[in-house]
Amino acid sequence: MNNISSYPWYRVAGAIGCAAVFITGCATNLPPPTEQLAVTKSALDNAVSAGGNEFAAVEMRAAQEKLERANQAVAKEDYLTARRLAEEAQADARLAEKKADSAKAQKAAVAMQDDIRVLREEINRKTK
Amino acid sequence: MKNHRLIPITLIAAAVLAGCSSLPASNSLLDQARSDYNTAQANPQVATLAAGELKQASESLDKANNALSKGEKSDTVDHLAYVAKQQTAIAQETAKQKAAELAVANANAERDKVRLAARTQEADVAQRSAEVSQREAEKSQRQAVAERQVANAALVDAQSARQQTQDAEARSRDLEAQLKDLQAKKTDRGMLITLGDVLFDTNHAQLKSGGLRNLQKLGDFLKRYPQRTVMIEGFTDSTGGNIRNMELSDQRAASVRTAMLDMGIASERITSRGYGESYPVADNKTSAGRQLNRRVEIIISDDGGKIAPR
Repeated sequence: MNNISSYPWYRVAGAIGCAAVFITGCATNLPPPTEQLAVTKSALDNAVSAGGNEFAAVEMRAAQEKLERANQAVAKEDYLTARRLAEEAQADARLAEKKADSAKAQKAAVAMQDDIRVLREEINRKTK
Repeated sequence: MKNHRLIPITLIAAAVLAGCSSLPASNSLLDQARSDYNTAQANPQVATLAAGELKQASESLDKANNALSKGEKSDTVDHLAYVAKQQTAIAQETAKQKAAELAVANANAERDKVRLAARTQEADVAQRSAEVSQREAEKSQRQAVAERQVANAALVDAQSARQQTQDAEARSRDLEAQLKDLQAKKTDRGMLITLGDVLFDTNHAQLKSGGLRNLQKLGDFLKRYPQRTVMIEGFTDSTGGNIRNMELSDQRAASVRTAMLDMGIASERITSRGYGESYPVADNKTSAGRQLNRRVEIIISDDGGKIAPR
């Protein structure tokens, strides 16, 4: 076998180019998404305490299931899938939390309107 | 040698095409995300109340669009589109939450206003009812005062009536006492006082001083009861001539009348007349009877001043 310097320059360049395409284009050696998983877990906890299970059951289930699958992907060292699932689970959890907050706020608004209506009726009754 | 040069270039092209798959013209999840985003952006409530969330969604959507235009794999685009879609939904929910919270805040203010109005109204009602009560109290007080005045007036009336009755009774008792003192007797014509023959000497019409004293009582009586009048009637016994007896009895009655006038009794209240030996009250055959017939009778009228004729 000859030394690498004996190959023409374009051959070397071609080989390097090929390797570069594989490495950058299809990125296989990402780090595990530890931080993202922690953020997602925290978002999920927040959603639970906001009442997500009651007000946004679909989003909650999706978030929990994706977080589980993300953890499984981490175990298989498929970090890209793990990151994506964790990101999606975070979005689902935040949506669940917001849905719960929004539902509670709307309930409160309706209750308040009812209060005012009752108060008005009482006043009208008293004046009569 | 020319063919050798082409090998690496061909490899590069093949690697690009095989490794990162072919370019998809569109992505349905991304279409959905874009549509959702446009809806949210068109909603002024979302644009104002969830501007931060909407911006995040916009950035995610840009990433997904870029990925698609760079021809990245569909699962990459799907992932980015999904995140963008969820973030758009988060923006929507955030806007709803904020709107509801604003409504609650406004409702709080409204409720406070309503409560204030209610308290004001209650206070007004209470004041009005207090005023009404006050007026009623004043009215009933006035009524009570008026009733007390009426009662007092009635009491005064009753007292005055009782007083009048008492006065009348007293006057009546007094009159009775006076008449009794004058030894008056009740007759059909009125109270009758008979003065015996002791007033005059036989065959004379001049009053004796003792008789005059007797007449004083009658004068006092007439002064006291000015509405009463008297009729003085003179009588004789059957002794002597009829004409002389008539004359004598007339003169004696006139003497009594003159004595009364001297006491200050008005002349129109006193009439006198002689009847001679007419109307005897006893038998003229005995001296005791004749003494009884020699007399002067004085009739006292009622309160109206009337005396029935003989």
